[in-house]
Amino acid sequence: MTLFLQAALSGVLVGGVYALIGIGLTLIFGVMRVINFAHGELVMLGMYATWVLFSHFGWDPFLSVVVVGPLLFLWGALLGSTVIDRVLGALPQNQILLTIGLGLVMSNAVMLGFTSDYRILTTSYSSSSFELAGVFVSRPLLYGFLVTVAITVALYLFLLRTDAGQAIRAMAQDREAAQLMGIPVRRLSILAFGLGSALAGAAGALIAPTYYIYPQVGGAFTLKAFVIVVLGGMGSVVGATLGGILIGLTESLAAVYVASGLKELVVFALFLLLLLVKPSGLLGRTRA
Amino acid sequence: MTTLPSPDAPPAPGHPTLRRALPFAPAAALVLFLTAFPALQSKPYPLHMGVILFLAVLQGSAWNLIGGYGGQYSIGHAAYFGVGAYAAVLLLVRLGLAPWFGLGLAMVAAAGVAAVVGSITFRLRGPYFVLASIAAAEILRLGALYFRNFTNGAEGFVVAEVPALHLFGLSFEFAGKLPFYFLTLALAVAAVALSRAVLRSRLGYALLAIRDDQDAAQSLGIDVPRAKNVALALSAALTGAAGAVFAGFTRFVDPNTVFSLTDVSIEMALICILGGAGTVEGPVIGALLLVPLKEVLRNPRGLVTLGLFPPGSSLVGFVQHHLSNAHQLVYGLLLVVLVLFAPDGLSGLARRLVARRRSASPAAASP
Amino acid sequence: MPLLEIRHLSKYFGGLAANADVSFSLERGSILGLIGPNGAGKTTLFNCIAGFHPPDRGEIRFRGTRLNGLPPDRICRLGLVRTWQKVRPLARLTVLDNVIVGALSRTRRLRAAREEALEQLRVVGLLDRSTVLAGALPIGERKKLEVARALATRPELVLLDEVMGGLNPAETDEMVRLLLSLRTAGLSQMIIEHDMKAIMRLSDRVVVLSSGEKLCEGTPEQVAQDPEVVAAYLGEEP
Repeated sequence: MTLFLQAALSGVLVGGVYALIGIGLTLIFGVMRVINFAHGELVMLGMYATWVLFSHFGWDPFLSVVVVGPLLFLWGALLGSTVIDRVLGALPQNQILLTIGLGLVMSNAVMLGFTSDYRILTTSYSSSSFELAGVFVSRPLLYGFLVTVAITVALYLFLLRTDAGQAIRAMAQDREAAQLMGIPVRRLSILAFGLGSALAGAAGALIAPTYYIYPQVGGAFTLKAFVIVVLGGMGSVVGATLGGILIGLTESLAAVYVASGLKELVVFALFLLLLLVKPSGLLGRTRA
Repeated sequence: MTTLPSPDAPPAPGHPTLRRALPFAPAAALVLFLTAFPALQSKPYPLHMGVILFLAVLQGSAWNLIGGYGGQYSIGHAAYFGVGAYAAVLLLVRLGLAPWFGLGLAMVAAAGVAAVVGSITFRLRGPYFVLASIAAAEILRLGALYFRNFTNGAEGFVVAEVPALHLFGLSFEFAGKLPFYFLTLALAVAAVALSRAVLRSRLGYALLAIRDDQDAAQSLGIDVPRAKNVALALSAALTGAAGAVFAGFTRFVDPNTVFSLTDVSIEMALICILGGAGTVEGPVIGALLLVPLKEVLRNPRGLVTLGLFPPGSSLVGFVQHHLSNAHQLVYGLLLVVLVLFAPDGLSGLARRLVARRRSASPAAASP
Repeated sequence: MPLLEIRHLSKYFGGLAANADVSFSLERGSILGLIGPNGAGKTTLFNCIAGFHPPDRGEIRFRGTRLNGLPPDRICRLGLVRTWQKVRPLARLTVLDNVIVGALSRTRRLRAAREEALEQLRVVGLLDRSTVLAGALPIGERKKLEVARALATRPELVLLDEVMGGLNPAETDEMVRLLLSLRTAGLSQMIIEHDMKAIMRLSDRVVVLSSGEKLCEGTPEQVAQDPEVVAAYLGEEP
């Protein structure tokens, strides 16, 4: 039983960060209707930025979220206003190819700059954990989860209480209606892409202490992010939140009860099953 | 009241239509030249590049059937490439099965996997389809890594030697580059010929209709799932053949090479899209551009071997020092540039230029 | 036996009844006009008949065969074809190739399909545009293409969804005359249309839908004078 609780707990903690990644992706899709295949690379950039701040300036990764997030926001806004803007009306296949291309450019630019050596970010508490009711809680995972919760709450407040946030939600619901209502659709699209990137970057900062950092690490995150988003329903922030936790849980339990080397395969297999059975996800409304 | 044009009237100038396919005479001349090429020079490196080039044409044409004609952008074709490669190698290593049979069974295995993947993915549209295709290929890659007893895991298989093929009393040795050169040339020509035949067939029309508007196609009596599955089976079989030959040629298979998302799935799609998806010549053009590009970045010294650059060339040195393995970066840039500026690929770009020039000339006639 | 029978057909989206207990039939060789205010459920009905949505309740019979749950391509091969309210040309194919796609539902041979396609293009008057890309056509010609393409499938019944929408008076007149000549040739038609004059000229019978239900049915003259129908249209732009 302890084993189950242990696995479940670490799954939920990791799932929180996954949720951040998924929320970013679903925002981008919900608002811009763009399928961002480069999302994992945005996470990767966040990881590297965090690593640089840590290894050159000694910044604690959980604190550097404050810098990494906005940094990725700017990068996302730049991408959104230049490249992405131009494919808003294009065929989905072309959007996908474009963002796949962007992902390749980002990951390989980083490889040229940093080489493909694995980097590890070890803080003083990287391997420390404390015991709670017979279960071991990894400190970095817990801190990551707490920061995630804080960011998610802030995001929800933004979406529910601010004008920009409500406008974004309106756009996600019905783009044409929002446009007719005078909402500056283009500007908000760029904002949404920036926001999504910021969340991805923040997630990268939060998992940097617990993952190997290398240029190609983005790929797995992209696919996982899509699983989360499809699970929760494309465009649903709440769905992505729940989806992230669920995927983290699934992966963790699969690692324990099936086999560690198969945990990703299990997630992808469940993904295919989900696409077959309910492609609109648990909470979604877009048709497949 | 206009008169009925004769059924074989050529299409109006400048209008891209189905009937404009690769013109026969130049293509035949090219094939003849390529067949004679090894007699003209016998250094191994150009022959090696020939094999890689023909495999690229084969793969690009294979992807074209389902991605170009059918508009189903699968980014998971590595599934079929890898299955073909492993099937051929496993049959060889475990059963001592000779190349032709290995090749045929590899194609069948790939088509079988395609039937399964298709049944799952073809119910999905647009981005969901792309995602599912990637997931399917990744499942195979991860499975191949994990199930070590079957596939040797990450270590892969080294093929010590490919046994000779005994056919009609003749014996074909598979040592050296030459046999693979002719084999891959034949496969590439067959793939292009098949592409052309499909384009002008009932299946071709069905696929193009599905590409442009699946619901409209269905309302006109097209059995959409069947068309997609047939196209994918053909596409997978050809891709599996490429995988099998690749395995025999490089004498090595491992999951991260043959099931690779970037170096197989994306590369195949890029070859086709760069040249012009949905056209017969597109994959050929794409291969002719991409293969040398990739090779120069991977192995700039090859330019010296070919005698194109002097040994001490600073350009070669620069590429070797700074840009080795930057081919993925180039793929990425190409994808971005293509989508933004030339979604029809180079073939489409060329057609538009030709059309513009023709309509600008005073002698142009419109129907 | 009527060519097409709709019996107690209902279709729900979420909790909303897009079609509620609709029943009527269409006789062979006739034109039936389907009218009603926007949102009355006309296109939904077409989608149900043509196989794009399975009806939730009720039955559709075409030449005695039950259509419920059959895929659209099967229904087309049975002889029932539809056009689309928002035209759906196969944009990257030529006009001729568009129609060939339709013709290929009836013949396997490309040559025969080509000849059939050319004939249908002649019938609708698009022959001189056969090598133009469908995506480059103006709306009037796109509508004609849609009709030609449907005709190439050799249907017994064609469902025409606002085939005159967006046409100028001259084009509308041309289309009306085309449809009348097709009826003379034996083609049965069900037409959704907002253009009342066209409906009057074309229809043998008219069915009126409003808010998903059938309001009334009769000859064009009867329907035009029905007070409920008039009331349903009040508040609608003419």
